[in-house]
Amino acid sequence: MTEPTRRTTELTAYLSHELRNALACIHQFGNILVDGLAGELTGEQREYLGIMLENASKIRRVLDSALDGNDGPPKELANKNERVSKLET
Amino acid sequence: MDKTKILVVDDNPTIRRGLSVRLRANGFEVLFAEDAISATAALVTERPDLVILDLGLPAGDGFVVMERLHRNDRLANIPVIVLTGRELAGNRDRALQAGAAAFFQKPVEDDTLLFAIRKALDVSRGELRFDD
Repeated sequence: MTEPTRRTTELTAYLSHELRNALACIHQFGNILVDGLAGELTGEQREYLGIMLENASKIRRVLDSALDGNDGPPKELANKNERVSKLET
Repeated sequence: MDKTKILVVDDNPTIRRGLSVRLRANGFEVLFAEDAISATAALVTERPDLVILDLGLPAGDGFVVMERLHRNDRLANIPVIVLTGRELAGNRDRALQAGAAAFFQKPVEDDTLLFAIRKALDVSRGELRFDD
């Protein structure tokens, strides 16, 4: 394995471990709150948590795509790249 | 009737806490280990019904834990669900070949994890085959 390849592999492993664990904590405790396992929420609190969890899911899709190559780029990124390509041509 | 006992092996205390809240809310008894050595000890002394296993652990990784488990006839039938922050390449296939009942990357949907737990328990109790 060449030095740049080794460093890329190590960086991927590091990012996967660190980002997925941090994201898992946000996801776990957000859902614990949404599901009422820590007490009742107001409608507004539920809405804000929903926004938080929706964005955590977006980050997960980006991670899946960037680090593991699952299903190509997320749709919103693919669309963005398409727009950038069009601007560049 | 005794509660189903699940051993959660993860070196991240926040992950362990989050999993315990979810699992206890679903009627499971939850035990913890934070490294490969304490996981092996807990397997022998507590003989859990199922293990949720991280791969990146201090004192030997999750593969070491699975190898020790499957070498012990008394423990070999305990189902293992791998839940890891590691990348897919080089880990998913290896974990499944090492005998894991399921492999998930963090974060996993709660319903998905609970379904896999119940299915793995049914299979280990002979109530279901893996291909059902």
